Amino acid sequence: MKFVDEFRDPELGRAVAGEILSLVEPGRHYKLMEVCGGHTHAIYKYGIDDLLPANVELVHGPGCPVCVIPMGRVDDGIAVAHREGVIFTCFGDMMRVPGSHGSLLDAKAAGADIRMVYSPLDALRIAKQNPDREVVFFAIGFETTAPSTALTLKRARVERLTNFSVMCSHVTIVPPLRALLESPDLRLDGFIGPGHVSTVVGARPFEFIPADYGKPVVIAGFEPLDILQAIEMILRQLAGARCEVENQYKRVVPYEGNLRALEVMAEVFELRPHFEWRGLGFISHSGLKLSDAYADLDAEARFSVPGVRVADPKACQCGEVLKGVIKPWECKVFGTACTPERPIGTCMVSSEGACAAYYNFGRFAREREVV
Amino acid sequence: MTAGQSQSCQSEETHCITCGDDGAPMTVVAVDLDRGLALCAHEDGFRETVETALVDPVTPGDVLLVHAGTALTRLEAAAP
Repeated sequence: MKFVDEFRDPELGRAVAGEILSLVEPGRHYKLMEVCGGHTHAIYKYGIDDLLPANVELVHGPGCPVCVIPMGRVDDGIAVAHREGVIFTCFGDMMRVPGSHGSLLDAKAAGADIRMVYSPLDALRIAKQNPDREVVFFAIGFETTAPSTALTLKRARVERLTNFSVMCSHVTIVPPLRALLESPDLRLDGFIGPGHVSTVVGARPFEFIPADYGKPVVIAGFEPLDILQAIEMILRQLAGARCEVENQYKRVVPYEGNLRALEVMAEVFELRPHFEWRGLGFISHSGLKLSDAYADLDAEARFSVPGVRVADPKACQCGEVLKGVIKPWECKVFGTACTPERPIGTCMVSSEGACAAYYNFGRFAREREVV
Repeated sequence: MTAGQSQSCQSEETHCITCGDDGAPMTVVAVDLDRGLALCAHEDGFRETVETALVDPVTPGDVLLVHAGTALTRLEAAAP
């Protein structure tokens, strides 16, 4: 497949792995965080962990949009879905995220009209086909999916659709990174930057990481060679006492991002004062809501969403996994009470969640050779 | 989600490409200039209507990175 196969070449992969080995300082432990759930998935799927020396540790960050949705937010969605006349639409993985009294899938089984969509445009189409029903789109995701929601809202406005609204749970990537960097229980040496978020926001928003915290960032693609090369680039920075934002994914990511996407997002959204992240708590200016110009299409205002905060289940350690404090298999319920079929925590729901990715691809090999 | 899309989500990546920071390269097949949409084809065959406002103008044959039904950028050939 074009744009894909050339980045899965095993010979090149072995060569880059050799470079990585040559850059590692014996006795030093390197902790690198891949911010993005797509990277987590690829790392486990392709066994990239196994190509690294044991003193290069990959920590899985909070970049899976499903995994960071708190239980209370799911409960809010279910409350709206149960309203008379509502068709509630959301992405597939979101259906299985547990709330305090079950998931959206459970609510669907109980009779709520909840439909899985592939894009917000599909939700808009459902609204046009059902003019006598209220269609709500449960919008989640980082800056990758936010432009899609914004364009759909603009389209709804142009087409004067009044039976369409959005329950906005979009989040932004920079505030949680800053929160992680401020976290006293986490020591990181560098970041593998999110590839497709950077397509939208560009590389500039990550410049604070080397400038303020002295850590290298390398924005990376999602194929095995992309990730290996990004790790090599971070280690090369560390070996040369350099510290900057580099872009390994130049074939897709322009340094300045997609200005049109940023413009449309600025028009349709504004930052919430604070937003709750699963396991990370409230983070200032990390969530998006609809701007005043689009307030009439805001489902939270239209349906007066309860907005109750719900504590995570005691057994669930998603927060520690999301901060990289523990590995997925170190969670008390990993693979026993919590599995992809019956998840307790969000990290086990989406296959981009660290727990599900590890459960599906990596749980049989935990030992690696120490250099 | 149509059956075709569902299969695509499950086939290559074994997960839904919509939900995470993951996108799909798709080739423009036909352009609807009036509505700012394009019919795009994934290499494994399934087709999808894609919002092109962020990358316009597009022409048939262009390869786009599509995320949640919206083209985020154009893809250019690059060797590793």
